[in-house]
Amino acid sequence: MFDFTTLAQFLVAGLAMGSVYAFVALSFALLYNAVGILNFCVGEFVMVPGFIVAILLNSLHMPFLQAYLITIGVMLVFGAIFHRTIYHPLRGRPFLSVLVSTIGASLFLKNTALLAFGADPRVTPGIVAQKSVGLFGVFVAPQYLVILATLLVLVVFQYVVFEKTLLGKKMQAAAQDRDMARLLGIPVDKIILITFIYSAVLGGIAGILLAPVFYVTSDMGFRIALKAFASSIVGGLGSIPGAIVGGLFIGVVELFCAAYISATYKDVFAFIILIAVLLLRPQGFFGEKVAEKA
Amino acid sequence: MSLKKLSVKISFYLAMAIVLASLPSLIRSNYWIGTVNLAIIYSIAVLGLNIILGLTGQLNIAQAAFWGIGAYTAALLNTRLGWPFWATFLVAPPTAAAFGVILGFPTLKLSGRYLALATLGFGIIISLIAHNWKEFTGGVDGIPGITSPVLGPLKFSTNASFYYLALVCLILLALAQIKIKNSRMGRAFQAIKDNELAAELSGVNTFKYRVIAFALCSAYGGMAGQLFAHGTKYVSAETFFVDMSILFICMLMIGGAGSIAGSIIGASLLTFIPEWLRFLQGPWAMAIFGLAIIIIMIFMPGGLVGLASFIGSKIAMHLRRSIQAGTGRTTSRDVGVSKGTE
Repeated sequence: MFDFTTLAQFLVAGLAMGSVYAFVALSFALLYNAVGILNFCVGEFVMVPGFIVAILLNSLHMPFLQAYLITIGVMLVFGAIFHRTIYHPLRGRPFLSVLVSTIGASLFLKNTALLAFGADPRVTPGIVAQKSVGLFGVFVAPQYLVILATLLVLVVFQYVVFEKTLLGKKMQAAAQDRDMARLLGIPVDKIILITFIYSAVLGGIAGILLAPVFYVTSDMGFRIALKAFASSIVGGLGSIPGAIVGGLFIGVVELFCAAYISATYKDVFAFIILIAVLLLRPQGFFGEKVAEKA
Repeated sequence: MSLKKLSVKISFYLAMAIVLASLPSLIRSNYWIGTVNLAIIYSIAVLGLNIILGLTGQLNIAQAAFWGIGAYTAALLNTRLGWPFWATFLVAPPTAAAFGVILGFPTLKLSGRYLALATLGFGIIISLIAHNWKEFTGGVDGIPGITSPVLGPLKFSTNASFYYLALVCLILLALAQIKIKNSRMGRAFQAIKDNELAAELSGVNTFKYRVIAFALCSAYGGMAGQLFAHGTKYVSAETFFVDMSILFICMLMIGGAGSIAGSIIGASLLTFIPEWLRFLQGPWAMAIFGLAIIIIMIFMPGGLVGLASFIGSKIAMHLRRSIQAGTGRTTSRDVGVSKGTE
């Protein structure tokens, strides 16, 4: 049971699932960084594009690339609408008000999806073949490799945008100190809007990647969101590299615990890790500050 | 307080007491009295949440877990060991509070957002254990056959009789909370909510008071769970999933965080609205509900109680103006006296 190939297969599957968590955790962390909100609607950021891509591919039989681009396009608009309706009217209020408002949005989207698309789970074809491919004797689902490759591309993209472009620097500045950024002439409101849109697009990518390996249902959001919360705490709340590492960590640990300890309590492990991290190292792997800013 | 004001107050309380006392005979329908009982029990849980969220300004997304701990403590002691209502009544809330302190001690040092996610994790762990540890909790099938409370010759086995018991509990717990709010402890909670650093610097032991607030919150939750177990005579893991914790938070925010009346109004409304929306199918009701939460958050930051006091102050201002116009002495100073909601 502990032979190399099995372990390697589990590792790849865990990393792939973890990559999806990483996308969602990143989406969550970006909003936390920029405006200090806990977005409880982050799971629906994955559910909505999941359904869109499922309909475009299954019912309308679109080519993959076209379907993916339309989904991302819809998520651009979705992010902007989310910003306008859920966050913008409540900016400057205590974080609890925004949190409850995101809970409202989550309830609304979840049940609207149930009404519009029904309770049947949907599964979409992947852009690559379903058949496992052998890699040094280790058999893995090709979709997993696609997910891992996408994460790699995203990490590079994220690094280039945030560290090398003016827009990225403005986003960082706005997240660090909104008032100072405003004084320096950065259009903070616009930057926050862009952050919301980017956050929604990250959710969109996660939805597209997840749809072929995970059933798309109207209530999938909550489970995904919980893993994203755990990932971002483990990595360090609000830390960008932390979200990615935390997501991968949760994905791998969850899979190994499910395989070797108990499949029933699979979901518990993520939260035991969450609470253990909070006890031992509350700032997570990469976080710096824990106490509230004075 | 003038005599006139006092008599108005007394007659208001008297009228309310008469309405509350005759409610079961007014409603008649057993089903609706059951719903009223549920509203009362939810109100107790939300009152508990009000201590930590409304008064102290910390977020606890595990109130349903404390409710569940209270309910299972009562159910197990009652069905396995034959403990009567009054015995579990004394044991269930402290048990929930003990869990609250166990969770609270390590996590309360963290800032509010961490606490929110830690309590969420705790709520999920408790709910998953209740679902899966079938020998102990009965899982989804739950524990049936919990006995009704008996007090001397009185037996609270029907919904109508249990109503009085639950109502008395709610009133006592609400009064206790008024006492807490106006005590030294309540002021410490308020100081933590307003500015924790300033509170610490003024000599408030913020950690101690946060733990106390958390323990009180979970004790209220445990009490609600205990009443629920004996009222419905049945407990299952289904009744306290994480959704329930989120619903409690919505109840409080919609009623008005920090307000005792708001907690009760919010809990009652959100118990009854889904019942009234029954004619719509489930998802329709929940989608509208989600939308309503967003709208309330945007337009009524103080919840329903905040809105009511805002309207009240507007009316008062209007009345004062018309009186002054009548006596012919309007001063510019009086214009816009009661602007704002807080």
